[in-house]
Amino acid sequence: MRPNLLIALRFLGARKRAMLMSLTGIVFGVAFFVITQAQTAGFESYFIKTILGVNGMVRIEDRIQSTRTLEAGAGSGFAIAVEGSVKYIPGVQFPNKIVDALKAFPEVTAASPVIRGNATLIANFREYDTKPYGIDLATFVAVSDLETQIIDGSLKTFGENPYGLIVGVRIARRMNLQVGDSVLLDSVGEPQRFRVAALFETGIDQVDRERVYLHLPAIRTLLNKPAGASFIQLNLQDQNAAPAMAARIEQTIAHSTMPWQEREKTWLQVFSVLRISSALTISTIIFISGLGMFNTLVMIVVDKTREIAILRSMGYTREDISRIFMLQGGIVVAVGVVLGCGAAALGTYALSHIPIRIRGIFASDHFVVLWDPWHYVAAAVIATMVVLVASYFPARRAARLEPGSIIRGSSS
Amino acid sequence: MSLLRVENLHRHLGEGDTRVHALRGVSFTIEPGRTYAIAGHSGSGKSTLLYLLGLLDIPDEGRIWVGDRETSRLTDDERTATRNAHMGFVFQFHFLLKEFTALENVMLPMRKLGRLSEDAMRAKAADLLTAVGLADKTRRLGTQLSGGEQQRVAIARALANDPSLILADEPTGNLDHANADRVFALLSDIAHQRGQALLMVSHNPELAARCDQVFRMQDGVILA
Repeated sequence: MRPNLLIALRFLGARKRAMLMSLTGIVFGVAFFVITQAQTAGFESYFIKTILGVNGMVRIEDRIQSTRTLEAGAGSGFAIAVEGSVKYIPGVQFPNKIVDALKAFPEVTAASPVIRGNATLIANFREYDTKPYGIDLATFVAVSDLETQIIDGSLKTFGENPYGLIVGVRIARRMNLQVGDSVLLDSVGEPQRFRVAALFETGIDQVDRERVYLHLPAIRTLLNKPAGASFIQLNLQDQNAAPAMAARIEQTIAHSTMPWQEREKTWLQVFSVLRISSALTISTIIFISGLGMFNTLVMIVVDKTREIAILRSMGYTREDISRIFMLQGGIVVAVGVVLGCGAAALGTYALSHIPIRIRGIFASDHFVVLWDPWHYVAAAVIATMVVLVASYFPARRAARLEPGSIIRGSSS
Repeated sequence: MSLLRVENLHRHLGEGDTRVHALRGVSFTIEPGRTYAIAGHSGSGKSTLLYLLGLLDIPDEGRIWVGDRETSRLTDDERTATRNAHMGFVFQFHFLLKEFTALENVMLPMRKLGRLSEDAMRAKAADLLTAVGLADKTRRLGTQLSGGEQQRVAIARALANDPSLILADEPTGNLDHANADRVFALLSDIAHQRGQALLMVSHNPELAARCDQVFRMQDGVILA
């Protein structure tokens, strides 16, 4: 074993209790940091997964029409659109052409036109305001998680019935609906009859209590909307590429195109703030442990002044002395990080098995965690930086000690 | 060639009003295989001189040669390396590292020099402890040894890298008469047998007189 490491290991025992306190602080700091990050990131990623499963990665909505042009010359017929002067015409006028155009983008994995409206659902002598979504089942399951959201009935039954209806679970409970029930939907004063083919649950309260899915031809009749679509829902190969892709698509097809990051900005910011705030709060444990480490090392330097002098007299350089104290910090942080990461893994596992019923922005019956190695790396980096900075100053002080003065001061 | 040569050493200690001219032009030569004592009253500059010779301090004026190497322009690391390879120190308060056994304390300078394998270092340290009469106490921590035993471990440690010069600052000052006599005899015998020079600072005129040469100091100068 290298002499500096050997001496560092033995010196660590000089203040066992204080060192153990610092070590414990680092273990807890690292563990809590990882667990809180796993939990907040877990909820965030689960929210994203849910929201993408409902509303897709990108939505193409209103058509953009330039309202101001500059004519190059009087009567020339050549005009340039003025930036910022645009009008949004609601809906997609030619959805099939847009879907065809999207085939030119290899990053787009699926596109599905959707018609959205308002209708009153009438059943069991009750009425309920809903938002019917007309979908093309074959393409819509490719841009959503509708298949996995079905909790009763089946998509097959829905697909086989042109007047099939998939109802949000909260509507079903409110209206006391079951699969197979017959209901009426009324939008323009001409009620139409549908049969409940399935019930779905997304976990997003607003969706589950107002949305019903029906086939595109059926909604065209219901809303008296023979052409066009309200929006086109897309999925991409890479969800993180959505903003760039949305910008490209918008420029190409002249339709307002919104990525999920922009659409869900509010919730994403809430999660982001929560994650940063918990990281900062938990980091204080590590900072306090660093302060403890600093104090302990300063005390060891004071205790070991004569030992430092004798080491210097027998040939250990200032750098050796500095390394001996930096190594003490390094050993504590290494042990602390390893134990902390182990405790974090156990804690995260235990947390993920705690039963808790969550409904509102997603559906879960237990704590959601995200196993991300970067959480462990971040905790290790923070702990290492804090402890190394805390070790640096005592180490520098130890290295600067003049052996002659110390030994002279110790002699009679 | 002399082992160590000093020429016109001057050293001031303290600051401002408390500044003292501790050494006032000290010159002498140390030859291998001989024992030397620096004797004098407290405050005469003995220890200050010893630390300058051991390259633990820097003179304000004058020069020190270790062998044929003049040391005034050496860097701190070069001075430290010179100490490690050529000098062994024995201090009044032994300064063993209490977390290490006697054997491990003796091995510390060897570990730094890095010339021997772990087994060779261990064997050599055991031989040195046997030479100072501590063969049966190699595994004891410093705190489990008596004052005399600790000083003998410190002597074995000073000899670990076969230094050409052993510098001892009041090595017997903290020991009873019997142990003081034994420690001095040990140092003196080793120096003569191994051809090493021993330079010892001592208050004890009896021990000083048993050295081959005595430098008597007073007010920072060596008396003729």
